[in-house]
Amino acid sequence: MFRRFAPFAILPLAMAAGGATANELNPDVSVTLDGYYKQNETALSHREQGFGLGHTELSLSSPIDDLFSGRLTAVFEEHDGESEVLIEEAYLQTNGLPYALNVRAGRFLSQVGYLNGRHMHEDDFVERPAAYRAMLGSHYYDTGARLNVLLPTPFFWQLGAEAFAGDQLTEGDEDIGVYTVNTRLGGDISLSQSWQLGLSWLRNRHATLADTGDGSHDHDHEDGHDHSHGAAYTGENLYIADLVWKWSPNGNNREQQLTLSGEYLYADELNQFAASDDTNEGWYVSGVYQFAPQWSAGVRYGEVDLQEAHGDHFHNQTLEETDVMLSWSRSHFSTVRLQYTHQETTGFSNADNTVMVQYVMSLGAHGAHGY
Amino acid sequence: MGTDMTLRNAVAALLLIMASVPAQAQLRVFACEPEWAALVRALAPDAEITAATSHLQDPHYIEARPSLIAAVRRADIAVCTGASLEAGWLPMLLQRASNPDIQAGRAGLFFAADHAQLHAPHDHVDRSMGDVHPEGNPHVHLSPDQLPEIARALAQRLGEIEPEQAAAIQGRYIRWRGNWNRARTEWRARAEALEGRSLVVQHSSSSYLLRWLNVDTAADLEPKPGLPPSASHLSQLLADPALLEASAILITSYQDLQPAEWLAEQTGLPVVVVPGTVTGEAPTETLSGLISEIIRQIESAEPGASDGGI
Repeated sequence: MFRRFAPFAILPLAMAAGGATANELNPDVSVTLDGYYKQNETALSHREQGFGLGHTELSLSSPIDDLFSGRLTAVFEEHDGESEVLIEEAYLQTNGLPYALNVRAGRFLSQVGYLNGRHMHEDDFVERPAAYRAMLGSHYYDTGARLNVLLPTPFFWQLGAEAFAGDQLTEGDEDIGVYTVNTRLGGDISLSQSWQLGLSWLRNRHATLADTGDGSHDHDHEDGHDHSHGAAYTGENLYIADLVWKWSPNGNNREQQLTLSGEYLYADELNQFAASDDTNEGWYVSGVYQFAPQWSAGVRYGEVDLQEAHGDHFHNQTLEETDVMLSWSRSHFSTVRLQYTHQETTGFSNADNTVMVQYVMSLGAHGAHGY
Repeated sequence: MGTDMTLRNAVAALLLIMASVPAQAQLRVFACEPEWAALVRALAPDAEITAATSHLQDPHYIEARPSLIAAVRRADIAVCTGASLEAGWLPMLLQRASNPDIQAGRAGLFFAADHAQLHAPHDHVDRSMGDVHPEGNPHVHLSPDQLPEIARALAQRLGEIEPEQAAAIQGRYIRWRGNWNRARTEWRARAEALEGRSLVVQHSSSSYLLRWLNVDTAADLEPKPGLPPSASHLSQLLADPALLEASAILITSYQDLQPAEWLAEQTGLPVVVVPGTVTGEAPTETLSGLISEIIRQIESAEPGASDGGI
């Protein structure tokens, strides 16, 4: 490929024209404000009752040089009156290695599943589906490295592998506690329709040695909810299949867009006491219709069937959850959302129905329109 | 041992797939908007061109779809507008496609706005002003005076990417330039008859052409750049004396017709729907054809006559 070596030196210097100021060398700063009011406590939730702040983030990103770019995202959260700052992302990313290889290293969101790699403020509902909250702690991020390759096929086909410390999912002694492999395919069906399919496998080497509690039948830890942000229900193997289909007339998603998505999560080898039929399972389907440039309405239904570890045995827990939401975005950068959540459970003491009002505001740099 | 073999087989299969895609001699171009696809077609007719958007889509709001990522992965050069028009999706496409040729600062990423003098650049911008681009109005493809410079720079860049085609591309550029100059002389003559007219618009998509034609903008249906027309803004517009001077309401084909039609009903102004950019069909399949057609539609729009539109 001769043209790979086209002389870069004769790039027009005009690129920098137009009064570039020193400011442009500063990283892009973006702040996301996420606040809510929640009427009742719900099961498996990371949001407490009453007024609260959700996933408030501060993110800095910039090209580092022509090969690397980087991002730092700090998340501010409050639990039981205590403020915390969490480093959700602190990674470097390569820009265009040969053969369309793509390396990311540091702290970042794992790319398993459809929702996990996305920032929470891009979501269409106040909280992630119950399956994500239980099995991935809403979003699994960790410290490690990723290698992706995009195959030169006429349709979209990506293969990827990640290795992580694993402690954000389950505390343990292995240096590399979690591996993931993932593939993603996608394309357009017509001018108006597009799709993406993903298959992921997450190997959690810490899961078998996880702390299983003392076996006492005390349900307190559900109510004073998990402070670790880790996933409460893990297994040595987690498999995820996800499918997304989007439709907008003539592909003009500014005016109207219908998004149908669904995921299935399955975990086995839950811990050292698990029998082969002790598994965690969850799924959801979601339909969101943006019926006008500023308005969206959506419905989501999901189920989880979980095994809660109690020393050497398990307690079965199930949750069926239905969410209905309506959201209004004044501009690209502001969203106000009204949501009603209905829960039906067995084995959870704090399940309830609730109304939630949420705002998500973006300040600063223009966020990406991910698929 | 077994896993080892499977892995080796998988790697072998992967290499086979990568090798089986022939290293084509054909130039592969990813155009962010159809206007740049049309310009590339004029300069390099043999190129395999993928246009990321169509005239029916608002280029500000595209998502980084899998098909677009795959197209950037396969391309030799991406030709885009720049000036933050694609800020919501192009950076993500470039990152996900991780094509080493098409990255910021490399020859394979061409921004038209880098070769144009943009109108209305802002020293101070904040989001309360709407979706304003600090670099200036990016919809430069309808500027009769700026297109030649963009085409010249694009011809040069395509020649750098495909050196064995450089002379042929340069030759086509010179021919294109001659045709453009002839068309521009004709537009100038037609513009004289339009002088003093004013139009109600929606968004600043046609403002380069309107300014060149000396056609005034009486009002904008958008309350702020990028915000959809609201009922309160439209009723405010009704009271605007500038509306009495206007001869038509000009909107582009990807925009919602309802606000313009509502205002047309209240005022009796005709609604003119023009493609915001080149379409796949004559007479608007080229940039000069598009400009001629927009001028024709403005000419034919008379107040009171409501047969505008395409």
